[in-house]
Amino acid sequence: MVTDKRPKSRKSSNGPIVVPERTPRRFYGHGVPNVELNRLAGRLIVVEGADGSGRSTQIAMLTRWLEGNGHATAQVGLKRSTLVSEELDQAKKGNILSRTTLSLFYATDFADQLENSILPALKAGFIVLADRYTYTLMARDLVRGMDQAWLENLYSIALVPDAVFYLKVSPEILVQRNFAKDFGLDYWESGMDLGLSRDMFDSFMKYQALMAAQFERLQTTYGFSIIDGDRSAEEINLELQQKTEQVLARKREAKAGAPSRAP
Amino acid sequence: MTKTFAELKFPGRLIAVEGLDGSGKSTQIYLLKRWMEWQGLKVFFSEWNSSDIVKAATSKGKKRELLSPTTFSLIHATDFADRYERQLVPLLRAGYIVLCDRFIFTAFARDVVRGCPPEWVRGIYNFAALPDLTFFFKADLDVSLNRILDGRPQLKYFEAGMDLRLSSDPYESFRIFQGRILEQYLAMSTEFKFLVLDANQPIEAQQSVVRELIASRIDLAAFATEVSHAHRASPRPAELMPAAPAKV
Repeated sequence: MVTDKRPKSRKSSNGPIVVPERTPRRFYGHGVPNVELNRLAGRLIVVEGADGSGRSTQIAMLTRWLEGNGHATAQVGLKRSTLVSEELDQAKKGNILSRTTLSLFYATDFADQLENSILPALKAGFIVLADRYTYTLMARDLVRGMDQAWLENLYSIALVPDAVFYLKVSPEILVQRNFAKDFGLDYWESGMDLGLSRDMFDSFMKYQALMAAQFERLQTTYGFSIIDGDRSAEEINLELQQKTEQVLARKREAKAGAPSRAP
Repeated sequence: MTKTFAELKFPGRLIAVEGLDGSGKSTQIYLLKRWMEWQGLKVFFSEWNSSDIVKAATSKGKKRELLSPTTFSLIHATDFADRYERQLVPLLRAGYIVLCDRFIFTAFARDVVRGCPPEWVRGIYNFAALPDLTFFFKADLDVSLNRILDGRPQLKYFEAGMDLRLSSDPYESFRIFQGRILEQYLAMSTEFKFLVLDANQPIEAQQSVVRELIASRIDLAAFATEVSHAHRASPRPAELMPAAPAKV
């Protein structure tokens, strides 16, 4: 890479530190009991995208930039709960759970992190960066034929994030990045359980196209920011920084910006 | 789902028992199972919170008191879904009588008492069909409380509803918690056509009412296992022979 052309971060760490205002919060629906929404400060920023779309790179870069600018951050992701992550891992290895069960298992994992990581961090004024959120879980289940209304009810416990960045990467580039990383494709990320093709490469391409189509459908309901993920990591991060700055500067009354509309 | 397995044209039938801890429902369903086995029926018994895969996570969550009302609800739904999809539905497709010690109504009552929105809980379980018969064992609150409190003085945290902070005394907490669950059960009794039994009666008296009700509503002979069916009713080859050409 030509270092001279590398775009710089938007702001040096020496400027005045922005203090985010507390903005109104809501759940998508029923929410979880015993939460005082008006006590949640901080910001919840979600990064969505397939494996190999650069989510973790982007989150690491965003973290560095946010912390450099004086914001405390917390990272969450799928399958990281104390409650069920181990059991979920085991169950996935054997591919023994049926789809409703797997779906509810993931929902349990999500709820545990929502209540024990996301909400407490927001209460403490952290910027929470979520490596995937309910949308990936919904898209996966929708591809597997589950009922959208059922999923919307299930995930009506979720807090509406301040921004959702969807890293959109073409399947051709995704597959190359996966090979560059692991020299192989993941069983689940290739949707092998769906029987789309016995050839893993074919299955991966088909599955990722189905996932992208579901994300596009969900986009119309949940209003993600679609980020062109085919560019270099630095270019992408510059756009994320700019959008994150807007999120941090959002005023109490502001209604502008992304995904605050109800599904 | 608002239909029973019979309404969905499953060949099998599902019978559920519900009631408070200490209402005697587990004893009753056990006797029911023995009765059906005695008759050589295809019968299977399934208990709430017993899926092998999910149980490890549930007991860890309970032991370490990690569960919130939401995760308590979801992990039990996961357990139920696993048993429902991998055991109950296939067995009902194969024409079994499935006996369930607790069904979705346990979640409807408990999770709502814990503060989960009723529509949310019901929405999660709506992948499940309704039982063909649901027996509700209604004991006086004091009777069921005493049955539990006499026999097993050490109450577990979630069992006593301690997570609800109703009282710092586990016994008092358990009383209040069970009282609220009973209210929830009674409120849905008509909607889900519970067959309400007087659980203050002697065990034998209850069992005979249950057996009569089942026999009057389900053609039990139709659920005989193939082996005993063949043993009792299959004609000898000689008798079979003349009938065969007539079918052609």
